Amino acid sequence: MKENSPATVFMSSDKEFDKKFAFVAYGLLILIILFSTYLHYYQPQVLNVPSNVDVSTWKNPSFEHTCIYGRMTEAEKAKIRSEGIPGNTIPEILFMEIFALFVAWLCFSHARKHYGIWMASCFLIGSFVFTGLQESAWILFGRFTGRSAMQGLGEAVYGTYWFTKGGLWFIETPVSVCLGWFYLAYSCVWIAGKAFTKKSLLWRAAVGGLIAMGLDLWTDPVVTSPELMSWVWATGDFIRVLGIPQTNFVGWFLLIFCFAFLWEWLPGWEEKWGRAKATNNFFLILVGMDIVVLVFQVPWCFILRSILVLAGVDHGLLIPQGW
Amino acid sequence: MLSKIWKNRLEFYPFLCMYLFWFLGSFVSSLRVENRPGIVALGLITIPSLTLITIAAVKTYKELLLTGDTNE
Repeated sequence: MKENSPATVFMSSDKEFDKKFAFVAYGLLILIILFSTYLHYYQPQVLNVPSNVDVSTWKNPSFEHTCIYGRMTEAEKAKIRSEGIPGNTIPEILFMEIFALFVAWLCFSHARKHYGIWMASCFLIGSFVFTGLQESAWILFGRFTGRSAMQGLGEAVYGTYWFTKGGLWFIETPVSVCLGWFYLAYSCVWIAGKAFTKKSLLWRAAVGGLIAMGLDLWTDPVVTSPELMSWVWATGDFIRVLGIPQTNFVGWFLLIFCFAFLWEWLPGWEEKWGRAKATNNFFLILVGMDIVVLVFQVPWCFILRSILVLAGVDHGLLIPQGW
Repeated sequence: MLSKIWKNRLEFYPFLCMYLFWFLGSFVSSLRVENRPGIVALGLITIPSLTLITIAAVKTYKELLLTGDTNE
């Protein structure tokens, strides 16, 4: 693939391999989703799934140690305590799932036309697994250890976050969120390539990540508000932008940025190693990259915290103040 | 113009996805948020991203005018 024209190359098809790959990859993914969904609803004690009805049972973080708690009125706190998570109804969840499926299907059709079924499937399954593993690892790490990637500044760390609503689950991440990552990553990188046709892969990946981050600056404060609470953040991050921990925005950027690189290297790997080996290596490197992105948050938070301490900041920053 | 876009609708799917995500995921959801003055106006923060998406969509349309239909 030419580095400055991501949209022009259609990968030839190796029907026999593509069929086998689709059978194994989609089959495995469906099995993991079915098993995770079963665990989430029927064996919630295995992964300590927090109750959507009784918020007093929450641990790591408790209801009082969530970011949203400090921004709620007393009436809102009382309502959540008595009624649980708002909007946790079957029609609402069903709508989310169907919407995610529909939008993901639109992007997949576009990818299939421009890159062929193998590349399109690698993008769909790759981004799904890449982000699903990343989010689930982060969620479960916080839930079981009560810690995060950082040491708090003027307040203790009480874990990370979790999703409250979802129909089908991939480990502890809703399938609608994983599909959301797919269509956002695909569209953002495609749009960056269209808007800046002659720029390098580095530029396109960075702009793609920034477009997604720009949209998330509004989406996150909205969907984590007391009226929706689609996901819940623990307190402890030393910078909160619009009530959302900075690690969230760093994560949004990094996931799309890193995935764009891996996927665009895929045709080169196919040329070098053949389709089967390129596919294996793509998924192995994907998991490796997941670990790197997770681990990256530790030095990132350490450096950011050190800068704040050197600047004389002794308590977490809220940007803007009072939000 | 509309028939040209409809004929080549697949080329516009990534843009449609982003507009749908923005409209339903953020805008409509923000209207459901009470007691948070300024949450709808906060949407202005997405202007740079929306501008880029629109620029890319217009470029795609112009390319279609030059190269002809792609779905025939």
